[in-house]
Amino acid sequence: MSEAKKETLVMEHLVSLRYEEELTPILERYVDALIDGRIVGHKCPQCGRVYVPGKGYCPLCVVETTDRDEVQVADTGTVTGFTIVTPVAYYGQEETEPFVYASVLLDGADSTLGGQDIVNIPRDEVRSGLRVRAIWRPKEKRSGNAVTNRGWGSVASVIDAFEPTGEPDMDRAKFEEHIF
Amino acid sequence: MSRVTTSTLEFPYSRTLGPIVGSFLSDLREHRIVGIRAADGKVLFPPLEYDPNTGEALTELVDVGPHATVVSWTWVDAPTAKHPLDRPFAFALVRPDGADTAMVHAVDAGTVEAMRTGMRVQPRWRDEPRNRIDDLACWEPVQ
Amino acid sequence: MNDIAIVGWAQTPSVRLARESEVQLLVPTVAAALARANLDRREVGFTCAGSCDYLTGGPFAFVSNLEAAGAWPPIAESHVEMDGAWAMYEAWVRLQHGDIDTALVFGSGKSSPSQPAEVWAQQLDPYYLAPLGVDPVSLAGIQARALIDTGEATERDFAEVAARSRRNANDNPNAQVKGGPSVDDLLKAPYVRAPLRTHDLPPISDAAVAVVLARGDRARALCERPAWIRGLDHRIEVHQPGMRDLTVSPSTTLAARKAGYDGGPLDVVELSATFSPQELILREALGLGANANASAINPSGGPLAANPVMATGLIRIVEVAQRIASGAANRGLAHATGGQVLQHNLVCMLEGE
Repeated sequence: MSEAKKETLVMEHLVSLRYEEELTPILERYVDALIDGRIVGHKCPQCGRVYVPGKGYCPLCVVETTDRDEVQVADTGTVTGFTIVTPVAYYGQEETEPFVYASVLLDGADSTLGGQDIVNIPRDEVRSGLRVRAIWRPKEKRSGNAVTNRGWGSVASVIDAFEPTGEPDMDRAKFEEHIF
Repeated sequence: MSRVTTSTLEFPYSRTLGPIVGSFLSDLREHRIVGIRAADGKVLFPPLEYDPNTGEALTELVDVGPHATVVSWTWVDAPTAKHPLDRPFAFALVRPDGADTAMVHAVDAGTVEAMRTGMRVQPRWRDEPRNRIDDLACWEPVQ
Repeated sequence: MNDIAIVGWAQTPSVRLARESEVQLLVPTVAAALARANLDRREVGFTCAGSCDYLTGGPFAFVSNLEAAGAWPPIAESHVEMDGAWAMYEAWVRLQHGDIDTALVFGSGKSSPSQPAEVWAQQLDPYYLAPLGVDPVSLAGIQARALIDTGEATERDFAEVAARSRRNANDNPNAQVKGGPSVDDLLKAPYVRAPLRTHDLPPISDAAVAVVLARGDRARALCERPAWIRGLDHRIEVHQPGMRDLTVSPSTTLAARKAGYDGGPLDVVELSATFSPQELILREALGLGANANASAINPSGGPLAANPVMATGLIRIVEVAQRIASGAANRGLAHATGGQVLQHNLVCMLEGE
C-alpha cells in the first residue's frame, strides 16, 4: 500500500456506554405527580425561588430542600427564549423537519423547562413573551421514561408540547432574568 | 417501587490514524506485524509515534513476530459484549519475537489450564479487516 | 511553599448505590467541610473539583456539581476530570501565588449507574486498547500474575491485605466493605480474574468528599491543629501497560521523593491500592516493605473497603489529615492514583505543626 494511502486510513469506533439507575426520590415524586397531571417543584426556604423539578437544594442559596418544600406550579407559562432548529443528519438525530426549541417559564416557577416544542402557531410567529399552555397526553399514554437524573427530559413522555393561550404577551421585565 | 431509568451514551468515532498507526494497521491487513525503533535502539511494540523517554518522533518501522511469547496473563471466565471473544479467554501481555515490549490482547487458549507465562502464541487473523487492532483477531497457542 | 494546610474536611459514607444525585451528596459535604473550617463559602478564594462525567453518563455533570459550592456571586473555579486529589494539587498550586489564602476542593463519583468496566475502557489508548474492551480488572489480573511470577508475592499475601483492610474498615463509619474473614476462608473463593478473587478487588461505590485549604496564619486562625502539606507531587509513566514493568511503581517512588519523603518514620499511611497486589507494590516503592508496621497502612480500610472513583484519592488525604488534626498522628503520607495499574501517582506528605 502506498505511503499516502496508509496515512488516509480511518478507524471506525462506536463507543457505547449503558447506564441504569433509579430516579432520585425527589424525581420519583415529580414523575408521579406529572403522570397524575400536576407539575411540582421545590421552593427554597431562604429565597423563595421555585425550581421545577426540585433538585434537593437551591443553587443560589446552597441550602437543602426536601419534600416539605414541595409546591405545585401551573401548566401555563411564558416562552422566555427560543430558537428554530434546522436538523442536520448525524448519528442519533431523529428529527428531519425544523422544530422549535423553547424555554418555558411556568407560572409560579423560577426555573424554566428547556427544549419545549411550541405548536399550533406558525414557527415564524413564535416569540419571547408568548403565553402558552401545556398539551398533556391522555393519562393512559403518560410515562416517566424520558425523565432522567441528569435533568434532561423534564416533562417529555407526559407533555409533548405547548400551545399559545391567546393571552397578551408577558411583559419582558417579568421574564428577562429567566431567558435560558 | 422506585422508577428505573436507562440511557445509552454513544459516540461514533471515525479516527484518522496518521503515518505510524496507519502503517501498523494497514500492515496488519496484510498479516504483517510491525514495531518501531526507539531512540535507544529497542523495538517498541505496538508502535508509538514518539519515544516515551526522549519525546522525539519515531519513524523506523521494524518487522516483528509472527510468533510471540506470553509475558503475563489473566483468565476472563465470563466475557462481556465488549471483549474480543465470546467464550472464556485470557487477556495477556503478548510480546512478538523481535520486539522488546508487549501488547495487551486476547489469547484464545480454550481453557485456563492451557495458559502459562512464557507460552508461545501465533496470530489469528480476522477474515475481513476493518482498520482496527482486532484485524489481528486474537492470539492462539502455537500448533 | 509548605505553609498550606488542610483545615476542614468532610465525606459521605461510601455505599453501593446512593439514591441521591451526585450534587445532593456534595451539598451537605461541602457545607460540613466549610463549617469545620469556620469559613463562609463567600470567603473562599478558589474552588477546584475532581469528577468524571462518564461515571453518571451526564455531559456537563461537573457543571451541576459546582452548584454545591454556590457559584453565585461568580466564583473562581476549576475542574479536573480526575480524582479530587489532583483538584487539591491544582488548588495548592493556586494558593502559592500568594494573593488568596483559602481554597475549597471536592471530589465525587457515583459509579453505581454505569458499567465501570465499559467506562474505564474508554480511558485507554483508542487505537490499541479501547477497541478490545480491556477492563481495569483484567489489567489488574495481569499485574497480579506478573507479581507472583517474580516470586515476590503469593495469593496468600494478597488475601492478607484484603483481610486486614476489612478488619480496619470495621472502625470506619464511612467504609463500605467490612468484616473479619480469615485468610484461609478468603482463599476458598473462586477466581474473578485469576489470580484475583472478589476480595482482591475494590467495591463499586458512590460517595463525595470535600477539603478546605488555607495558608499560613489564616490556617492557624481557622483550625486548632492544621494538617500542614509539607510536600505534594505527582508523576506519570508511559501509558501502554506492555511498556512498563507492572510489578514496580517508579513514579510513586519519584513522587514521594519530590514531595520530600525522606524515608523517615510515618505514623499513618493511606495508599490508593485499589487491588490488593498494588498495596504490596506501593509499599515496596515507598520503602515500606516487609519491615513496615503493616497496621499503620490504610487504617481506614483503604480502597478495598470503599472505592468511590474520583474521590478515593482525596479520601486517603482526608484520612491522614484528620488523624493529624486529632493528635493521633503527627506525620503521614497519602497516595492517590490515576489511570490503570498505577500509571499515574500522587504523594502528599502531611504533618502537624
